[in-house]
Amino acid sequence: MFYPEPIERLIENLTRLPGIGRKTATRLAFFLLNTKDSYITELSRSLTDVKEKIRLCSVCFNITDSDPCAICRDERRDKSVVCVVEESSHMMVIESSNPGHLRYHVLHGVINPLEGIGPDEIRIKELQDRIVREGIREVIVATNPNIEGNTTAHYIGEILKHLDVTITRIASGIPVGGDIVYIDPLTIKSSMDNRKNL
Amino acid sequence: MSLHKDEAFVLFKRAYGESDKIIRLFTRTSGKIAAIAKGASKSQKRFMNTLEPFNYIRIEYFEKSGKGMARLENADIIETNSGIEASLQKACTASFFTEFVDRLTKEKEPHEPLFLALKEVLFAVKRHMFSYADILYYQFLMLDMLGYMPNFDSCVYCASTIPNEKKVLFSKERGGILCVNCARFIPHTVCGEGVIPGLMSIINQEKQFANIIFERQAQDIMEGFMSFHLDVEFRSYRLLKSFIL
Ligand SMILES: [Zn+2]
Ligand SMILES: [Zn+2]
Repeated sequence: MFYPEPIERLIENLTRLPGIGRKTATRLAFFLLNTKDSYITELSRSLTDVKEKIRLCSVCFNITDSDPCAICRDERRDKSVVCVVEESSHMMVIESSNPGHLRYHVLHGVINPLEGIGPDEIRIKELQDRIVREGIREVIVATNPNIEGNTTAHYIGEILKHLDVTITRIASGIPVGGDIVYIDPLTIKSSMDNRKNL
Repeated sequence: MSLHKDEAFVLFKRAYGESDKIIRLFTRTSGKIAAIAKGASKSQKRFMNTLEPFNYIRIEYFEKSGKGMARLENADIIETNSGIEASLQKACTASFFTEFVDRLTKEKEPHEPLFLALKEVLFAVKRHMFSYADILYYQFLMLDMLGYMPNFDSCVYCASTIPNEKKVLFSKERGGILCVNCARFIPHTVCGEGVIPGLMSIINQEKQFANIIFERQAQDIMEGFMSFHLDVEFRSYRLLKSFIL
């Protein structure tokens, strides 16, 4: 048995969302059917807005609705430092840990030869240009500490070597509040390598 | 369901859903397997950082009877991939050979010599930068193991012996060199004198390439042969190529 065509079409479209099966989609469809008109108007407007208004900042490649983005326009931030991240979502996490200080550069990916992704497929060239153009003095590479993130970090270090800029890598080690007993040998080794003076 | 213990190299990983990872492993005793690692993306405890590509690990997994993915229970590091990230050339070389094994083998077909060859390559990549001759050497080694070795000894069509200085006609379709007679009716490419013997000496680990023109011709031969016979496009090859020549 099928529902009337408009409902079927809505269910069909909802099942294309990640994690939504037909059952959940049907429940959502009936919720929408019975909800207030004002909510439907607002929901459909926010759906079209997200596609129409969101683009990449021409400076840092963060997702934004104004270009340059709010972070790049913020005059209080240190102009000599840029923190390099894989994705906008990573930037949000770092920003929330230390709000209002850093400027960022979003690579939109990491170097991953197994997937055919090289330096040209992500925003590395743009980073290089920025460093020269903006007179950046320190680059903090905050890619994930896995093989792809580390390869990307090394590559960035390599191509910026000849520029007058300090390149630092975020430390990896024992998490705050962690217990040494439960930490794997690799992480312990890394935390030993990255130890600092008391 | 039975529990297997083995050693393996991680060929590929991908996040699956919110908290799991799907991986492909090349095991020492069972060949390639696909496995699901439950909770690998969420919990740091169980698999920690063991499931990264190029890692050499000790594993325990359950295999369901019939088809379907194995379920990874435990994984410990034997040797990490550390060193491969040190340069893009190293990362590309390791990726190429890992992809080579991944894409040219079928699941659950044991192949210990190939496992050992992959181990040798990945360990060697960490120690030194590969030249194109090094890459070719391991490429031939693996091709030979998988039964795809090109014939550089005698004419692939009539089997007549060809002296080294006349080994200049190569048929990618037939997978080997041709004599002058057979070359009249079989499509082929002509390469410089010394290129084929050069490839042979790389196979026998006798010497490195003499010059870049030589390398380029050898590369053309290999690319033509590989793309015709393997019908696989290696994702990592384009990047690797930008470093080797
Ligand atoms: Zn910006
Ligand atoms: Zn012949």
